[in-house]
Amino acid sequence: MTARGFATNIRLGLVAGLVLLGFGVLAARLVQLHVVDREHYLAQIQNSRHDIVSVIARRGDIYDTRRDILATSQTEITLAVDPWAVSKKIEFQRTPAQRERLAAKEREKRAKLASELGISVVEIEAFFTPTWRDLPVAQDTRDEAADGRVRVEWKKLREGVSEEAFARIEAMHVTGLTADRSYRRVYPHNELAAHLIGFLNKEGAASGGVESFADLYLSGHDGWREVERDARRTELAQFRNREVAPSDGWGVVLSIDTAIQHIIEQELAFIVSSFKPGKATIIVSDARSGFLLGLANYPTFNLNAYGDAPLDVQRNIAATDLIEPGSTFKIVAASGALNEGLVTPSTKFDCTLASILYQGRERKFMRDDHHFDHALAVSEIISHSSNNGAAQLAMRLGDRRFYDYARAFGFGERTGFPIGHEEPGMLADPAKWSVPDITRIPAGYSVAATPLQVHYAMSSIASGGSLMRPQLIRQILDAQGEVVYSFKPAARRVVIAPATAESMAAMLQKVASEEGTAKVAAIPGFEVAGKTGTAQKLIGGRYSERNHVGSFVGFFPASRPRVVITVVVDDGHPADGRIAYGATVAAPSFRKIAEQLIQYLDIKPVASPLPVPIAGKLLAHNKGARP
Amino acid sequence: MNTRDTSAFATQLFVSVLLMLGVGGGLGFSIVDLRQRISVSANNARILDQKTAEAGRRLAELGGSVAAEQSPEVLQRRNQSLALGLGLPREAQVVRVGVSAGERLAAKRNAEIFQSEHGLVSIPVHFNLGGAPR
Repeated sequence: MTARGFATNIRLGLVAGLVLLGFGVLAARLVQLHVVDREHYLAQIQNSRHDIVSVIARRGDIYDTRRDILATSQTEITLAVDPWAVSKKIEFQRTPAQRERLAAKEREKRAKLASELGISVVEIEAFFTPTWRDLPVAQDTRDEAADGRVRVEWKKLREGVSEEAFARIEAMHVTGLTADRSYRRVYPHNELAAHLIGFLNKEGAASGGVESFADLYLSGHDGWREVERDARRTELAQFRNREVAPSDGWGVVLSIDTAIQHIIEQELAFIVSSFKPGKATIIVSDARSGFLLGLANYPTFNLNAYGDAPLDVQRNIAATDLIEPGSTFKIVAASGALNEGLVTPSTKFDCTLASILYQGRERKFMRDDHHFDHALAVSEIISHSSNNGAAQLAMRLGDRRFYDYARAFGFGERTGFPIGHEEPGMLADPAKWSVPDITRIPAGYSVAATPLQVHYAMSSIASGGSLMRPQLIRQILDAQGEVVYSFKPAARRVVIAPATAESMAAMLQKVASEEGTAKVAAIPGFEVAGKTGTAQKLIGGRYSERNHVGSFVGFFPASRPRVVITVVVDDGHPADGRIAYGATVAAPSFRKIAEQLIQYLDIKPVASPLPVPIAGKLLAHNKGARP
Repeated sequence: MNTRDTSAFATQLFVSVLLMLGVGGGLGFSIVDLRQRISVSANNARILDQKTAEAGRRLAELGGSVAAEQSPEVLQRRNQSLALGLGLPREAQVVRVGVSAGERLAAKRNAEIFQSEHGLVSIPVHFNLGGAPR
């Protein structure tokens, strides 16, 4: 029997026709959507769903040598209000009762927000009150009605909201409140090492200090991703088409130590309160490597409030401002003459002479503060700081050789310090010297140098004769904190022989002794070597009798130097009306800093021979047997 | 079954079409389900990503706060306000002993030998606690 069943030819034809028709309609619609109207719909999608989100890279941190954070990046939130959002939401409610309920609920939330932000309810309500802004009718294209006014849909409510506070605010679900997250640079130690660290301004541009110099390492590279959003503007994560991940900035480890920096800044504050100087600088560096351990200037500023500081205060005066070094410059003539074998520490000079015949012309010496009744040995010229003696040492060298030594010590050229706009100083070529210059320059007049140049000139004696490059950055770290590069000590040149440096260190020790100009700088057992400097300031074309730059530059222990310290006090005024000699305004601070560094860096005193050979006595008492 | 019969063939075709529709539909649903799962996973990954970023932000904020609290100036202020008297001794407060520790101990252990001769029985050492005034 033949089974006919449901599938009669007519029915089959009908079903097949319907199916075909269905597929046909579907195909036609697909053709319309994907071919005919393709561009139109793609444009709509592109506008409403497609978005490119930039992913901001985090700027690297700046650390001190112990990896304490000196500068870091934190996110901060800017809260803003769209006052019209509330009224729009209320309008959508069906009944007046629902509208009233919603309005009351929103008012309650806003009251909580006001309390969180520490402002009154009246103030917060003012922010949430819808307002209009007038603008020329021709420019009124933001809404449909060209009536010369537009809705104000963005009012800044608060800047710098912390993540913690924002989490609480977000939980309130206040309608119309929008938040914008951005990175902000934070300096946890405020004023500490302000001139070395620098800062990032509101636009995110680095200004001064390591922030500017190491910007290439610190800044990183922003990323981006192409995303699609749904009707609620939520990102559809599955449609992340292309993505370039951000590359966070690298960390920079400085050679400065927060504790040492704090010690010198405290001392600087003491100098300021005691002597009311115009400017002052303290520099501490490692004697062997040249790495800076601390550098502080007065005046200074708070890095977190850089906007309040005048530009003048933001200058790193240790590298930008020139001073006449005064007697600290005498190390040049003495070192040069010793290094050339022209003199020995005991070679004597008559320092009572008023003038001398040099290169066929009479040269008048600068007056010494003290009258000497005997000829001074080279070591005494240094310890008593004789201008006359320094000039005679320079004359032994001759103009050109003396000049060459001054250049070798780094005067008249930039030290290569990377932070701030360093000045090269002023040291004229001998061809341009006037007649008295050979008597003045060796005493530190008619020459200008930055405190940093003076510091590193003395460092070259502490380091055994090499002029070191001032360095501040010790390491570069990648975003994961791994060391990418370590900077090594670098010598710029050899200035004097190690034996000469040793002799100079021994002579400079006498400065900080009973016979020297800075006995106040002495620390028993630690062989302090240094040189005072007092230069009259040139005011209105004349050397002032009341305005001085007092300084002390030294290192210790002289036989195996660990640290070099420079204290420069510009235009200090001691309370008792005394002249601001280096020994008065700078040397005491040197000693106080040194005493603290001895403890902090665990610097051992120089061993002295045992006063009593105890072990020998014991052996003798026990007739050779060990007790 | 007589496959040459038109109706029987049509029935088979009908069944096959239904089967294909079923399989196709099932496959379609599977694809939709798969896409849904992909979407949920991607969304979860995005949320995790956001949470990680938020943790990073909080960590940075905390790190900054810790650094600020460890600032020497703050520590010094706390030291003063809490009257803890902590601080590095100044060199003036330290008495350095000029003999080696071994020799010094030997002298102490054998006091009777040296008492009359050198008076090395005890070398007074004073510790002045709490930072000395400037």
